[in-house]
Amino acid sequence: MGEILFRQALRDSVDEVLEKMFFAQTLGEVSGADEAGDSPADTIAVELMFEGEPSGSLCLRLTADAAREIAADFLGMEGAEISIGQISEVVRELANMICGSVLSRVESAATFRLGVPRIVTAGEECAGSLWTTCYRVPLSHGRLTVKIGAGTTKCPPPVQSAY
Amino acid sequence: MAYRVLIVDDSPAMRTFVRRVIDMSGFEMSNCFEASNGGEALDLLRHEWVDAILTDINMPEMDGQEFLRRLSEDDVLRSIPAIVISTDATTHRIAVMTSLGARGYVTKPFLPETLRAELERTLGVPCG
Repeated sequence: MGEILFRQALRDSVDEVLEKMFFAQTLGEVSGADEAGDSPADTIAVELMFEGEPSGSLCLRLTADAAREIAADFLGMEGAEISIGQISEVVRELANMICGSVLSRVESAATFRLGVPRIVTAGEECAGSLWTTCYRVPLSHGRLTVKIGAGTTKCPPPVQSAY
Repeated sequence: MAYRVLIVDDSPAMRTFVRRVIDMSGFEMSNCFEASNGGEALDLLRHEWVDAILTDINMPEMDGQEFLRRLSEDDVLRSIPAIVISTDATTHRIAVMTSLGARGYVTKPFLPETLRAELERTLGVPCG
């Protein structure tokens, strides 16, 4: 299972999840030269561990305006009505859906287990992996960055929510 | 005919989304009940009858697998069609949930018409 397979699965999953569940379209991939500018203070990030073949982690980061827009589209509400808690919950759900979709594409006959999506606080980095594939896409009100990597990370015990 | 549907998911946002998608799809729903895990759902089913159950798998307290197992052991509740909604599209997981009594399986992400079609199929609603 290679990085190219993961990369394609990540692209397809992000595009499909945004289109079907958030009624949003990606506007092409962000080039390397445009990557700067997503300071942690202006973004919301979520980390999600998974176990399977392989195990690893996914890190998702959304600019604040994009996160509010995504949450509004998902919940069918106006952006101004959405609380920070609702935004956090929807962004965790987004990470969960993208991760599950990627893993289902790359190991459809195997089993995997997703951990609990965790909000990463400003100044904190997502855990690293042995290798990482990254997909950055502009949205109408900001930018989404998703990284997924294989490593030796372990999920927390399956006693908590994994939405 | 309008149906009574129970949505079981630990994410309030996901429950809101599923309810919204059912409305968007045009599926006729008279009542929509919600529970945040299998245990809450079983409590609710002791005093509310529903026509269909939509359940997540990964939930605290009682997950979707255990919930389906409990439903299958109940002489009355086992007749209610349960549809799993999950990000996990692996053949193994689908087989496990089907063996526990799931009559349908919808993988996230999904379109409103996909959920409607699965609800109608499991409820035996005539096409058209």
